[in-house]
Amino acid sequence: MSDPYKVLEIERSATADAVRKAYRRLAKKLHPDLNPGNKDSEALFKEVSNAYDLLSDAEKRRQFDAGEIDASGAAPPRGPFYKDFAGAGDHAYENHSAFTDFAGAEDIFNELFRRQSGHSRNTRGRNQTYRLAIEFLEAINGAVKRVTLPDGGVLDVAIPPGFQAGQLLRLRGKGEASVGDGEAGDALVEISVNPHPYFVRQGDDIHIELPITLSEAVLGARIRAPTPTGVVMLTVPKGSNTGAVLRMKGRGVPRQDGHGDELIKLKVVLPQVADAALEAFLGAWAPSPDCDPRRDMQ
Amino acid sequence: MSIDTSEFLIRARLDGETLELWVEEEWLIPSDAGCGRNFSEADLARALLIHDLTRDLGVNDEGVGVILHLLDQVHALRKVLAHTMDATARNAVR
Repeated sequence: MSDPYKVLEIERSATADAVRKAYRRLAKKLHPDLNPGNKDSEALFKEVSNAYDLLSDAEKRRQFDAGEIDASGAAPPRGPFYKDFAGAGDHAYENHSAFTDFAGAEDIFNELFRRQSGHSRNTRGRNQTYRLAIEFLEAINGAVKRVTLPDGGVLDVAIPPGFQAGQLLRLRGKGEASVGDGEAGDALVEISVNPHPYFVRQGDDIHIELPITLSEAVLGARIRAPTPTGVVMLTVPKGSNTGAVLRMKGRGVPRQDGHGDELIKLKVVLPQVADAALEAFLGAWAPSPDCDPRRDMQ
Repeated sequence: MSIDTSEFLIRARLDGETLELWVEEEWLIPSDAGCGRNFSEADLARALLIHDLTRDLGVNDEGVGVILHLLDQVHALRKVLAHTMDATARNAVR
């Protein structure tokens, strides 16, 4: 710590009044708030304040002169200084009257402050992400879905046929507008697909479990089978068992080189309510002794 | 962080009457959202500056108003100058 007399540029014999005058003279030059751009002024001002704190107190000054304490006597900390707040953000004290006489000043300042917020004139607008849930068949066959944007606008999202769950649709130029002259950002639509009550998709194929009656299974039949594009007639061969899989070519998910297939797994279903005729019939019928469906389990 | 009037008086080492005077002179401009005055850390630092000016630097009341008015303009000019230099530097980089 420097000699407080030297810091205040005074003689050791200086009167209390001379000490105060010396401090004032220096403080006016060095006060950080009167020197907002001078990095050194704060440290210098602190030194001057400490010196003044010590020499303006008669008892402390006597102790220092007698060598009982050194110059590092704890002065109360200074600050916070107003300059540290004045530059930050907008506040009530900011006074722009100093340059209202500049021609076009307002435009230039608006431009400057806008740039400062991180956008240059040509920066693209930001991308916006939306979530959209679509139905299973909409994903298979394609659809146009309307999304309502937060600003009340609407966005028509074309779902291409054969859409895979989890794919992200990018709609170029449908995101946030550029602040300047740049392109608008993109809208990114995250699309989830709701499950279907009986269709299941595996790759480009559609799987379905199709219930048939006992007589359709035994005798074979032409039955109506649902596909994603509608009902088609399906031939169930004679003697089709539960678990048999029939392939309907080209009835699956559309893809670039045609369509996937629909795979139909048959499931024989007995009547829900007791059928007296069936019981009577089966009572009179005995399966062949060779037929034991549980033979492999013995 | 906002500071209410009673805390502000303590931290700024002020009495209520002086505070009224300073607010009236617009040396301090607390925010008032309808539920009493609120002071910021900037207001507090500004109050300490006013103390320094009047107690240590021998500035009288008329002088405080003049200094604060000029200081507020200096800070606005510094801010604009900083933006201008920043924009100039960015253009120079391109």
